[in-house]
Amino acid sequence: MKEAIFAGFGGQGVLTAGLVLAYTAMEQDRNTSWLPSYGASMRGGKANSTVKFGEDTEEVIGVPMMAEADVLVAMNRPSLDYMSFCKPGALVLVNQDALDEPYDFPEGLEIVLVPAAQLAYSVKNAKGASIVMIGALIKKTGFFTAEQAKQSMCNMFAEKGKSKLDALNLAAFDAGYNAV
Amino acid sequence: MKKTLMKGNHAAGEAAVRAGCMLFAGYPITPSTEIMEHLSARMPEEGRTFIQAENEIASIHMVGGAYCTGKRAMTATSAGGFSLMQEFTAYASDAELPFVIINVVRSGRGIGSLDPGQDGYRQSVYGGGNGDYRQIVYTPNTIQEMVDDIYESFETAEKYRMGVIILTESSMGQMMEPVVMPDYKFLETTPDWAVTGTHKWDRGAGGWPMKRKAWEEKMARVKAEMQRWDAVGLEDAEYVFVSYGLPSRSTGEAVKLLRAQGVKVGFIRPKIVSPFPVDAFKAVNRDVKGFLCIETTEFGQMVQDLALAVKGEFANNVPVHFNAYGIGVPSVKEVLAFYELIREGGSKEVF
Amino acid sequence: MEDIVRLSHLIDAPAPTACPGCGHLLFFRLIREVLDELDLTEKAIHANGIGCTGVHRAWQNHGYVPLTAHGRAAAVATGIKRTNPDAFVYTFQGDGDAAVIGLAETLNAAYRNENICVFISTNAVFGLTGGQMSWATLPGQKTTTSPLGRDCSTTGAPLHVPELITQVNPGIAYAARGTINSPKHIIQLKRMIRNAMEAQINNEGYSIVECMSVCPNNWHLTPLQCREHVENKVIPEFPLGEFKKRGE
Repeated sequence: MKEAIFAGFGGQGVLTAGLVLAYTAMEQDRNTSWLPSYGASMRGGKANSTVKFGEDTEEVIGVPMMAEADVLVAMNRPSLDYMSFCKPGALVLVNQDALDEPYDFPEGLEIVLVPAAQLAYSVKNAKGASIVMIGALIKKTGFFTAEQAKQSMCNMFAEKGKSKLDALNLAAFDAGYNAV
Repeated sequence: MKKTLMKGNHAAGEAAVRAGCMLFAGYPITPSTEIMEHLSARMPEEGRTFIQAENEIASIHMVGGAYCTGKRAMTATSAGGFSLMQEFTAYASDAELPFVIINVVRSGRGIGSLDPGQDGYRQSVYGGGNGDYRQIVYTPNTIQEMVDDIYESFETAEKYRMGVIILTESSMGQMMEPVVMPDYKFLETTPDWAVTGTHKWDRGAGGWPMKRKAWEEKMARVKAEMQRWDAVGLEDAEYVFVSYGLPSRSTGEAVKLLRAQGVKVGFIRPKIVSPFPVDAFKAVNRDVKGFLCIETTEFGQMVQDLALAVKGEFANNVPVHFNAYGIGVPSVKEVLAFYELIREGGSKEVF
Repeated sequence: MEDIVRLSHLIDAPAPTACPGCGHLLFFRLIREVLDELDLTEKAIHANGIGCTGVHRAWQNHGYVPLTAHGRAAAVATGIKRTNPDAFVYTFQGDGDAAVIGLAETLNAAYRNENICVFISTNAVFGLTGGQMSWATLPGQKTTTSPLGRDCSTTGAPLHVPELITQVNPGIAYAARGTINSPKHIIQLKRMIRNAMEAQINNEGYSIVECMSVCPNNWHLTPLQCREHVENKVIPEFPLGEFKKRGE
């Protein structure tokens, strides 16, 4: 079973980014679960989603709660607190643009800084920083191929009636994929 | 069959549509509200009735009104909303009127919290109203199982003329998992008990001795036919975990880890907690040293039914260990730590 | 007296469970007569109230619903009517039931303009529990919970339900108040019941008829004195008439 945590401020796309991974896993016939953090207010504050999926088509998902993550995607500084839920050697993808001053990362984790906001801006998708991170995650982890992830991402947005954003989202994905 | 990634609450609402539910009446309460939101669009789309009622008392009585005429009807609620419905469940139970309620439990007394919990167990199983009665309580631990349970629940309610509760937790409502939605079905014929212009309700107040006997027979039938559980490793188990709902997923992981290390632990997961699956315990190793109850309550609710089941099956007062997880969902680590404590001879609370 | 307890042929129960002189019986008989006249008996479903109106359930030989706990009849009727639009759905409740504990359900069914008929038989006391004060108890009236006479400065004043409902939702089909203390009033009340029922048949929406009833036992009056009491004390406080006319 693999586990990924997506964390940031509400509105940074961390729920959507988690969904892209869960959707990709589902379309590869894996068991999967997506669990959002849940608070009383709808916008602002800390938000996160936890995605788990089976490593083969048989494996079932245990508890869907954040436990021992293989990957943490941290969109802002407070999200780095979730490193305490990471396995030894876990991958931590950090939105570099949200770190206004250097951060003293702990030993034993693979830290990768991604200028997610800048990359999103460069492909004219200012809201796409979390999609940039999904591109980077797929490249670094190899959980799924880029084609599988991109196809699932487009299928997912199509289901929400947002296919018109495909080109922008694919550009953001590629920007992240190629940056790491 | 196409799988779709669905939020638990949306899937629950959709399952009711597929099961032929003709009326949904509800009142918003976190964390069950998405069921109502989903149905506010879907029921009119299917030409069925959706009502946002003035409160939970009214909404469940609307459900009762529809169901006594043989029309499938349901509501969904949580916490204090479920409490308000207990007036109805007592009356409906007396009248042997079927109904379906999805109880998306959030932790705590009164306003409580939005975190998942299992302290709605007793109210669901025993009925929170006056008098002595039982309800059939499904306790799914995946969204697919919840969908399948809801799909079946209406027929169960009609078959036994009893209330059926789908007991889930806030996180089950909020999380997403791949689901296959079943085909549309309907209650094709009007049940012979349905009220019409020429047929009044056939059960109700009065006739107590006769009613008691009928209830005894019915409960015996429910006990014989509705016990349902999953079990792992009972034959050689030194300790057996018992858990339902989301905590059963942590427990399942913990049991898998322990058994991979050669530790002899077993696991019983009630898929329906009422009637409690007492027959599951017949397969347990006669030399079992103890049972571990993993539930998220403060003082223990399922543990009492578990203790009675164990007492009924084992003569030598096998201990049933309970650990108050209180709120949320215990992690795999916490489940393992509790096991270590018990194995080393410690205990928290023993029933 | 004999007229009051001799039940319509539609009512086939072994024996009435009401006290001699009870006003509910007469109101209910009128309801059953109009049902019969409008050929509704075979499609009528009755959501009952609790209290005295609840114990009368034994007389019913048509669709009667078992579970209406105190005050919830309008919600039950809503569930029945919404899923059985071809049925004729009505409630029969007392004032303690419909206008005190069930005021929320009564008002909200009207607020949504549910296509149901609500019949309230108001006797100004909680009859079955032994004559306690209800919201319709007259100022100064002695009951077991207002032993010195109702003091409106602490209990609130009599509540006028049809008027209230007409204010809450002026879009309802019909609202009226009648009584049973004289042949003239009985004829008037029957006309009101007919209006209410026709409103539902024509899908005009919610209708309510309140009948100022009598409770000789709890009022400690003879049936004849009850007639006078209604004329001299009740009607001045609870004026008869139509508060919302059909098609208005």
